[in-house]
Amino acid sequence: MISLVIKRLQRYEGWVGGAAALCLVTGLYLGLIASPPDYYQGEVVRIMYVHVPLAHTAMLAYGVLFGASIWYLWKRDPIVDNLAHAAAGISAFFTAAALVTGSIWAKPTWNTWWTWDARLVSFAVMFLILAGYLMMRTFVDDPEREARYAAVLAIVGFADLPIVHFSVEWWRTLHQPLSISMRGVSMSGEILVPLSVMSTGFTLLFGYMLMVRTQMLYLTRLLQAKKGRLLSHAHVAQSGPQVGSQPSSAH
Amino acid sequence: MSFFRVIHWVAWKDLISEVRSRETISSMFFFALIVILVFSFSFSMDQQAARQLIAGIIWVAFAFTGMIGLGKSFAAELQNDCLEQLQISPAPKGAVYLGKLTANLVFMLLVEIILFPMFVIFFNLDVVEQLPLLLLIFVLATWGLSTVGTLFSAMTVQIRAREVMLPILLLPLAVPVMIAAVEATRGALSASPLDLYQQWLQLLAVFDVVFTVLSFWAFEWIVDS
Repeated sequence: MISLVIKRLQRYEGWVGGAAALCLVTGLYLGLIASPPDYYQGEVVRIMYVHVPLAHTAMLAYGVLFGASIWYLWKRDPIVDNLAHAAAGISAFFTAAALVTGSIWAKPTWNTWWTWDARLVSFAVMFLILAGYLMMRTFVDDPEREARYAAVLAIVGFADLPIVHFSVEWWRTLHQPLSISMRGVSMSGEILVPLSVMSTGFTLLFGYMLMVRTQMLYLTRLLQAKKGRLLSHAHVAQSGPQVGSQPSSAH
Repeated sequence: MSFFRVIHWVAWKDLISEVRSRETISSMFFFALIVILVFSFSFSMDQQAARQLIAGIIWVAFAFTGMIGLGKSFAAELQNDCLEQLQISPAPKGAVYLGKLTANLVFMLLVEIILFPMFVIFFNLDVVEQLPLLLLIFVLATWGLSTVGTLFSAMTVQIRAREVMLPILLLPLAVPVMIAAVEATRGALSASPLDLYQQWLQLLAVFDVVFTVLSFWAFEWIVDS
């Protein structure tokens, strides 16, 4: 099972990475050069071509993390744990990037870096949950226990996010400007095309990162296991009875 | 032993050992007292400002105090390998969770009930008519904090840096509880009509039910060895 997954990942990751690069370059050209500036927001709107796909991909990555966590608890397959770990790291990165680009967009548009809006707070909480998740993983010694705790944490956090969103929405309802300018008024083809190309590009980029990172985490774990085995062998050779010490004549 | 007897005995064991040692409740109480003092130094409040800020101050004090109680809940089981006994015992794990949850809820509520008069005295509040409602808010919000808190306490006690990790993991998840508790408490303290803030009580109830069920299920994965 594991070797099959790793082989598949190795075979297709180049294609996915290439497609992601192609989409992102095309999308950046369409978004930054070919499309006209927005009627209301001017040139500032162009950051949306990066910001919106980043936010979507961050949520997609958390979705993958959630699915992989459930799958891990069900099947206890170590490679799925590596997949979840990889998705969590990428999701944390994309969430942070979405928060930063959103702030840069909000300053000229809303005239503030930050408001306590439902989406902003949900994303900030999501980032904190993911940061806690990644931190917690470094504090567990036993790999099997680490995977189990991490899966539980990801599932509990996933259930929390909608409640966070609704509670902040009731608490501060300030996000109207966003939905009007993005959905009601100005979602024409000129914006939609570059946006969907960039969304596809970021989704493919996420797929590529996920493949590479999953392999990397798997190999790291393998290396640790082999190191541990070597060390325990050395320990046995030093202190244990002389089992394997007879010189073999085959060499 | 039946399911409910396990809940009863796990909670009873924690309460008895607390009555004998008085470690958790006294440390929670004095810590919360210090939090109240620090807050009254950091904001110079008149009556008007106090009414605006007090709900937030109450819940910051309660949440941080709760961290101490929750952290101690499973840390106490480390002595004499009690945690391993809980893991290998044939009792249903969900019942152990509910017992622990009950004990934590009782500890936190006790401390809150002792502390609340301090707030009333220090910040000069009028609360007599609102007391039943405030008690309901305290129960719902504290229950919410203890559901995930008890689960994460069991998780963090078995890893390194557990004192740091419990608040880092718990507080982001507790954001809805904190918002709802602060808003409901502010509504009750300012004696505004219940219609204006009953949605927060509903939100607390939803959070409590969702996370009691989820933690009840997840606890099995946490203590499984």
